[in-house]
Amino acid sequence: MARRTLRLIATLGVASAVMLVAAGPAWAAGETIGGCVLEQVHHAEEEYGSLGAVEADEKAFKAFEEDLEGCVEAPSPILPELDEIIWGGLAFLILFAFMWWKGFPAVKRAMDARSEKIRADLDAADTAKADAMRTKSEYEAQLAEAKTAAAAIIDEARGQADQLRQDLQARAEADIAEQRTRAAADIESSRRQAIDDLRTEVAAIAVGAAERVVGASLDADVHRSLIDGYIDEVAGAGSNGDGS
Amino acid sequence: MADQPASDRIGGYADAVLAVARAEGAQAEVEDELARFAEALRSSDELQSTLADSVIDVERRLQITEDLLAGQALPATAALVSLVVGAGRGGELVEIIDAAIDRAAAGRNRRVARVRSAVELSGEQRSRLTEAIKAASGLDVEIQAIVDPSVVGGVVTEIGDDVIDGSVRSRLQQMRSGLG
Repeated sequence: MARRTLRLIATLGVASAVMLVAAGPAWAAGETIGGCVLEQVHHAEEEYGSLGAVEADEKAFKAFEEDLEGCVEAPSPILPELDEIIWGGLAFLILFAFMWWKGFPAVKRAMDARSEKIRADLDAADTAKADAMRTKSEYEAQLAEAKTAAAAIIDEARGQADQLRQDLQARAEADIAEQRTRAAADIESSRRQAIDDLRTEVAAIAVGAAERVVGASLDADVHRSLIDGYIDEVAGAGSNGDGS
Repeated sequence: MADQPASDRIGGYADAVLAVARAEGAQAEVEDELARFAEALRSSDELQSTLADSVIDVERRLQITEDLLAGQALPATAALVSLVVGAGRGGELVEIIDAAIDRAAAGRNRRVARVRSAVELSGEQRSRLTEAIKAASGLDVEIQAIVDPSVVGGVVTEIGDDVIDGSVRSRLQQMRSGLG
């Protein structure tokens, strides 16, 4: 901070010195237009005796005009007049002093405030960065936890799926075995039923054939013999003490 | 009108039938003709269902019984059958006739023995069978002979719930059971 102030003071000093040095020639050559004209008039009177002689001599008159025109030439665009330098420098010094007194502290405060703000922003940025890093860490931790939980869930689901598959497979195998047993029982039942039906059908056919044979072979004598035998049998049952 | 129990109703009709038969002085003939008509009904499910079918007009059912019995039975027998059918009890006609015959026999202190045979029994066979049943069971019975070709040969006697089966059909059935 002190170095910067010293540098500023030195710069101002150098600038003032340059201005004073540059203003030197102008101050040394400093003459008014009237003075210049009077000087040229005096010079012409000394050289030609009077101004009338100058007017009479065309060549001298022309030279006199050029000298006068030299007096009314425009001031230097670069080098100011001495009084301008003095007043300008004084004004500059006043302004500089005022600026040094009021402006520089304000600028300094503004710069300090700006620096403080930047520092605060940097601190806030650091804090935000830290928060972001902490949040990132927490997020990563949560992410890792979520991944762990997801992996656990997947493992559990896989285990349940395996268990379910095994259960379904066992149930399917049990069903298949039961169906096989039932089918075997049904087949056996059907086979027995078919055999029974066949046996019944064969018996019906055989008995039907026997009925037709017996019916055709029973004539009146056989009928009478069968009836008489029945009556004797009933009577015999009575004589043997056997009821109906 | 509330229906009476079937047994009471059948008994009532049977008593009425017997009363009419006695009043006509031809009880034995009427019983015999009714028994044969009942047997005809037993052997024909179509006839039995026709007489019991309330959808068929009563006049039509009466006409059927008249056609079947006209010239084949006494007027009293035909009138009794028409009485039962006309009362809408054609479906119970067999039971009514059996009950009437049983009650008539009971009135004579006898039981009815329904004897089925493939051929008709002779009078001598009926007498011998009557004696044989009395000797076997001690019951005085009246033979109601029924010719039933399904018996094939031999005789089947039913006295109430007792059955004495000496038919060829039963022996064939036993053979069928043995084979089946």
